[in-house]
Amino acid sequence: MSGEISGNSDNVKQLTHQAVQIDVEQGSKSFGEKQVLKDINLSIEKGQFVAIIGQSGSGKSTFLRLAAGLDELTKGKLLYNQTSLDQSTINVTMMYQDSRLLPWKSVIDNVNLGLETKGEKRAEQVLDAVGLLEHKDKWPAQLSGGQQQRVALARALIHEPSLLLLDEPLSALDAFTRLEMQNLIEEIWSKLGFTTLLVTHDVREAIRLADRIILIEDGSVAMDLEIDHPRPRQLSDTKLVVLEEQILNRIMNGEVDESLKEKLSI
Amino acid sequence: MKETWYEKLQPWIIPFILLISWQLVSTLGIISENLFPSPLSVITSGWQLTASGEIVEHLVASLGRAGVGMLIGGIIGFTFGILNGLSNKSYRFTDTTIQMIRNVPHLALLPLVIVWFGIGETGKVFLVVIGVLFPIYVNTFHGIRNVDPKLVEMGKMYNLKGWKLFKNILLPGALPSIFVGVRYALGVMWLTLIIAETIPTQVGIGYLATNAREFMQTDIIILSIVIYALLGKLADLIARIGEKKLLTWNESYK
Repeated sequence: MSGEISGNSDNVKQLTHQAVQIDVEQGSKSFGEKQVLKDINLSIEKGQFVAIIGQSGSGKSTFLRLAAGLDELTKGKLLYNQTSLDQSTINVTMMYQDSRLLPWKSVIDNVNLGLETKGEKRAEQVLDAVGLLEHKDKWPAQLSGGQQQRVALARALIHEPSLLLLDEPLSALDAFTRLEMQNLIEEIWSKLGFTTLLVTHDVREAIRLADRIILIEDGSVAMDLEIDHPRPRQLSDTKLVVLEEQILNRIMNGEVDESLKEKLSI
Repeated sequence: MKETWYEKLQPWIIPFILLISWQLVSTLGIISENLFPSPLSVITSGWQLTASGEIVEHLVASLGRAGVGMLIGGIIGFTFGILNGLSNKSYRFTDTTIQMIRNVPHLALLPLVIVWFGIGETGKVFLVVIGVLFPIYVNTFHGIRNVDPKLVEMGKMYNLKGWKLFKNILLPGALPSIFVGVRYALGVMWLTLIIAETIPTQVGIGYLATNAREFMQTDIIILSIVIYALLGKLADLIARIGEKKLLTWNESYK
């Protein structure tokens, strides 16, 4: 099994456009009467790995859809690279909780989906990078859940993203597979340096992967933490364990722990 | 798991027993051979008609009517199914009308069709068209509407629009449902043809049966029925092979 886990990520070096910077200025989003995001101000740097956490219905997935250009702010502005309002000026790709592979296309055709020029070779390189080259001619239904998400990752990468959006892509996987996928995503991100937004329920996952954790509560940014901890991170590291505890407490009790940053000196 | 020869044989045991009993009932004279000819005499007259080439002529005529009707009705049903599946405007504009016509039992149109088109080919083909149109329309429509919206959203994320979105996601997603429509329409097609061929004609399996009735040739009548059954089975088989070929990705068609 270990042969297919690691993959060969040397193959993906060229697969990136310039990473993108995202600025949200007084962004609000309502669906009819219901206001989902309220007056958000955020600046996400080029190449940053940002985890967005929060409870269900807090508006975190809505934020991701806005960044993807699938939805528009009701009020305020969302700017790409400080100037552009138009999502189509950058390469955005997305991974969902379910793989959303087309069941009627082979693995490699799924990876090639939507490309103007079909590059069999490039698709093979990307599949190799996620460790699935030998499965390229199979149907998605013949793969395990973890493998399907790898294909979805390959499909996202082949578009040379400057922004990768991850909408809880690992939450349906078993613990072991999830760990593998976290490693793979981190490895590829470090190589390619695209800006990444990860929406997750899992605080440990956020701490494990992100440069910065944003907690969204009731449509507002309730906490914005930079994590300047060397990678790869060991979750057993005392600092990270304490941090996890603090964040969980913050989410569960809604208390702002002023001393958090001092204690951790981060 | 592979079926053993015995398991393969199993479905044919009861038909075989029925056939043997039928033959016995006839040859032992329990029922008059004139009313209920034995399988052997049906096969014999079938052989004679084949040898004289007569049967081919009738088969070609019937298949032609069925095929042309299926093609025209299929294209109309498919087109409206796709249009209304994709566009709410088109759906609001045409669906109610289509549903109203659909609820008329098309075979009840027979007397009207004779008045309209006379006893030529047009009326027969027309009936088949009306018969097959609706199952294909309904199933194509629902197929398109039931494509997973998550896949459509994913497609848009990956720059699939218009024709590309249709070709890569909507049509393949609707295909299993469309095939259900086609197979159902094939059944309707034969049924309609049987009725349509009671309109006076000089050629076709229906003519064969009607003509045989005039002369009390019960063996030919039964032969016609058997031919209809075989044609129906054959059409379904072809549709299933097509299904298997096009839907290899789908677990339920393995």
